[in-house]
This record gives sequence, C-alpha cells and structure tokens, in this order.
Amino acid sequence: MITLVIYTWTILWFFWKLPSWLYFLNASEIGIALAYVLVTNFVESLLVLCIPVFLALVLPRKWFLDLFVARGTCLVLFGLGYMIYLAREVQTKVDHPAFSYRLLPLAIAAVLILMATFLISRIGPIRKILEAFSDRATIFLYVFMPVSVISMLVVLVRLFA
Amino acid sequence: MPKFNRRDFLKIIPAAVSAFMLSNLASRRSFLNNGQSLSSPNVVIIVFDAMTARNLSLYGYRRKTTPHFERFAQRATVYNAHYSTAPFTTPGTASLLTGVYPWTHRAINEAGLIARNMVERNLFHAVSNKYYRLAFSQNMWPNYFFGQFHQNIDKIMPPESFSIIEQVQGSRFSQDLVNSYRAFDDFLFQDGTPPASLVLGVTEKIMLGRALLQAKERDYPIGVPRAGNYPIFFQLKDVLAGVKTTIEKLVTPSLAYLHCFPPHDPYRPTKKFTRLFADDWSPEPKPDHILGDHLQKQQLDNRRQAYDEYIANLDFEFGKIINALAKQGILESTYIIITSDHGELFERGTSSHVSPLMYEGVIHIPLIISAPGQKTRQDVYTPTSSLDLLPTIARLTNNEIPAWAEGELLPLLGGKEDANRSIFMMDAKKNPAFAPLSTGSYVVRKGRYKLIYYKGYPQYKGKGHFELYDLDNDPEELNDLYLKNPDLGRPLQDELLGKIEAVNSKYEHIQQ
Repeated sequence: MITLVIYTWTILWFFWKLPSWLYFLNASEIGIALAYVLVTNFVESLLVLCIPVFLALVLPRKWFLDLFVARGTCLVLFGLGYMIYLAREVQTKVDHPAFSYRLLPLAIAAVLILMATFLISRIGPIRKILEAFSDRATIFLYVFMPVSVISMLVVLVRLFA
Repeated sequence: MPKFNRRDFLKIIPAAVSAFMLSNLASRRSFLNNGQSLSSPNVVIIVFDAMTARNLSLYGYRRKTTPHFERFAQRATVYNAHYSTAPFTTPGTASLLTGVYPWTHRAINEAGLIARNMVERNLFHAVSNKYYRLAFSQNMWPNYFFGQFHQNIDKIMPPESFSIIEQVQGSRFSQDLVNSYRAFDDFLFQDGTPPASLVLGVTEKIMLGRALLQAKERDYPIGVPRAGNYPIFFQLKDVLAGVKTTIEKLVTPSLAYLHCFPPHDPYRPTKKFTRLFADDWSPEPKPDHILGDHLQKQQLDNRRQAYDEYIANLDFEFGKIINALAKQGILESTYIIITSDHGELFERGTSSHVSPLMYEGVIHIPLIISAPGQKTRQDVYTPTSSLDLLPTIARLTNNEIPAWAEGELLPLLGGKEDANRSIFMMDAKKNPAFAPLSTGSYVVRKGRYKLIYYKGYPQYKGKGHFELYDLDNDPEELNDLYLKNPDLGRPLQDELLGKIEAVNSKYEHIQQ
C-alpha cells in the first residue's frame, strides 16, 4: 500500500512534467532523473514503513500486531491521504500562504489519524476490505522494487563511477 | 669543525623560514607566482539578474536609482547600447557563457541545457586552466550550465551560498549536478505546484515555511527576497558581502563568474528603500500589445516603482563592495565586469520578462567594465552584444579567441566600433530545443534601426508580424516605421529571415 500511494503520486506528477522535459532533454537524461526520483521514493517508502512497524513493536500485541495488515493499511491510507492534502497546501510560491506551519495542527492530525485507524479497523467488513485491498496491492511491490533497485544502481554509478 | 655560534644560528633562522614559506607557496598553485602581474589579471564578472539598463540612472533614467554604479562608472568603460541575446535567464546566460547565439547553443527553454556536443565551448574553457575558475549563481538555471561545464570549472559554489534559508537539495550531489538539480529541485521538491515527493517533499515544505516564519522579523516589510521558485531566501547585504569576500579571496590569476539574483522579481527592498520612489511619476503611456499581459497602467507603475526601489537597494549594497575593493587596491589589478542576463519590461500591458515582447527594456542591459587601474570614464555608443564578452575575456587573459565564438572584441578592449554590425536577439521558449524555430520573437539591431519579427503566434493567426523602429529618433519605440514603409525594413527583414532559415536548415530532418 505504501509503495502504491508514494510511487503513484510521483509518477502522476512525472507525466505532468514530462512534456516540458521532452522539449530539451533526451531519453537518457530523463531516465537518469527518473532514477533519482525512484530511489527517493524507495527511501520514502522505507521511512513510512517504519511507522506501523514501530507501532507494532511498542504497542501491546492485541492493539496492533494481531491486526497488522488491516491497521497498517488503514494508517498508511489516512496518513498518506493527509500528506496529499498538505502537499496541495504548502506551496510557498504564494507570498503569504494560508497554511499554518505550526506543529500543533500536525500533531492533532496525527492523533486523529491514529484514532481513526483503531476505530475503523474494528469494523469487520471494513477490515476484510482493507486486507483484501492490501493483498492485491502487493503486485505493485513486485513492479516497483526491481525498478528501484535498477535506479539505485544507476544513481550509484552516476555518483561514484 | 667550524664554530657555529648563537649569532650564526640567528642568521640562519630567517633564511630557513623564508625558504620554507617559498616552497610552500610554490607547491600551491602556479598562478600565485604571477602575483599582481597584469599579464594575467583577475577577471570578475558580476551579473545582476533581470537588470535593465532602462531603469538605471547611470543610463539616464529619471529616478536616481544607481548613484553608486555611476560612481563606479567614473573609472570604467560604459557600453551604452549593450544587448542580451534573449529576454530571460536560460538563453541569455548561456550566450554570455558560450559566446554563441541561442539558436546555436539551443538552451532556449526554461531550465534548458546547452547542446551536448557544445559543452566544451564555454568561457571557462576559453581562459584555459592557467586560471583558477570559479562559478556561482543564485539563480538555479545557470547552475545547470555549470554542471555541464564542470570539467572546466575549478570551483562551483552552491546557489544557496550567502542565504538565510537554504534548502536546495541538488547541490548535495556535486558529482552529478545537472541530473540531481533536475530530479530534486525542479521536480521532487518543486514549488508553485505540489511537490512530487509526497513524504520528503511535504516535510521539506513544512520546514521551509517554519523557517520563513522566523525570517519575517527581519528588515524586509514586503518579505524576505527569494530566488524565484526555489527555496533560497536571502538578504541583499549578505549576498553582496559574500560576493565581496569571494573576490577578496581570489588567487591570481582567477576568473570568477558571480551571478546574483537581485533585482529579479520578487522585488523586495529593505524598509529604508521601500517607498523611496513614491513620487507619483509615471512614464509616457504606451499602447497595449496584443502579445502582452494586458495589465492596467497603475499596476505597471506600481511594479516599476517596486523594481526601482529594489535596484536602489542593490546599488547601495554594491557601493559598499566598490568601496572595499578600492580600499584594498583590488580594482588596480582586476577587471570588474558588471552586466545582466536580460532586462525587465514595464510597458504595453506587460510587467516582466516572461512575455514574447522584445522592446528595449527587456533586452537592453548594462555593461560596465573597469580595467585594472582605470581612472577615467569612457563611453561606447555603438551596439554590442553579450556574445562579445567571451572573445574579449579570452583576449584579456592572453588566450586565443576560439574559432567558434560568434561575438566580437568589445570596443576599447581590443575591438573597434562598428555601427553597421548586425546584432540578433531571440525568444523561442515554447519551441522544442532541437527542432526548427517555428514560434518565437526575433530581433535584429543594425545601426539606428531595430526590426522585431513575431513568428507563428496564434494572435497573429500564425503569420509573421514585423515592427521597425528608428532608435536614434524614437528610443521609446512608439513609431512603427514598418506600418508606413515596409521597404525601409526590407534589408533587415531579409537578413533576419535568412539567418533563421540557415539555422533551421540544420534541423529540417526533425520536422520531417
């Protein structure tokens, strides 16, 4: 689920950007830029994965680990959904952005997301849907991971060869 | 065994210390040997982004925007009809650095790159590796060129140097600047649209916003100056002080290219300069242009006032640099070149340089060159181009003028005034870089006349549109001679169309 949301968001913006790049970049230059992008996505995915894993480790087993797939999926969907909302709000091109950069609203949002995660995944049918959805989304992992490994090799060659 | 007393020992110490110091110096870089020799003088190019000559009192502007530039000009050569090859940073800077026209180097799009087979043709290469070569640009786009030229540059200073908030990511990957700037700063952490990196991009934006909240307390009532859409926020005094320190630390001989973002939009002067020109003065109105932005006159006047105030602020800080450099004697041994990459326009409904319009404001830029030890002002009135800097600097640094350079030696620096020379400018940012030039604005300046050719714009139903001005008698470009007498512009028209056709012939296979 994590890779699905993170990679898809970036790839959508990539296709938005691509027409302007095609004006002056060749295929290999676009490919190299994409390699940096996918490596970043990989790092982001690992960072996000740390959150449910951390919760599973520190919370009592019954709270999180026993329902890891459902609660983890719910947490990721709410959390990354909120990030998408923030992404639209935090464009500093505007001189006086309406968005508040204070940490309190972010902390409140995090608590609400956690509460929603625990409440919603208690509902049986929703839990089953989340598990089924998560199971089917695994296919994206098989696509994104090999591509990320190749990208990582490209970046390493660019930086150290 | 000879006697070795205390007096002998004391005699040996200074000699030993001197020998040690000399060997140390020799092991550094060979250019230190030249000392202050004028056979290899330091050359410093300071580019102020988007600074039109039209709004500088140095060039006769009504508002007193540049008293310190005028003071500097008293010991320099002032080029009064100097042109950028293009109206925005990418092609304008690329021409300055490569000495060729945009239709040759092909960096014609925003954030574009120089043709890959031409990256060896650049200013840093032209002065050879006898010189220590340093490059700095607050504007991100020239940094792509630095990345392309990296084999010819000894030091590339990151764009966020001298900033109060710096969150440029690409600079961290100095081995691959071009691609890392593209991936991170122009995409994953892009501004103006949601960041393409969902987690790190959003986190970076939140951190940037929090840093800005802190910075609001400073001396900038309109906001802290920033470099375009990139996360580089700075104070004018810090940037100019940084430029000064960089020049002071240069070894001899060095070539330094220092590209400062001010007075580029957003115009954000300090409290002292805000409303300095709230004088109700307004220039003569000019008719709205079909390709312009259709702004009201009051909007144009407000923008012009803010721009003028920002220039005055910049001028004030520039004055401090000149004082310091003069005091230290650096002006006696260094060529200081002040110029810009393009101008800015406040007329015909347009207030920017991001439009197809090619009037004087957007292409007429300052060029002031102070030669080592120069004490008096000299003026050149014949048209010159930003292309001319590369061959001139090659000559000043005792290097061969490259055969590929399309410019000429600047008058009074080895070249001659040529009133019949043709100078070209162009804007084709919507045109693919490696395809025939279809849509764009093209200009030729020759003698007193200037012909503008708007090609392929839908507003003209795809047909060509020409305008012709006599700049000697009509410097404000109000009287279009082409309407009354197209034959007058025919020679210029034939020359310009011939040039475009010749350039396009190289790319015809792409069209097919």
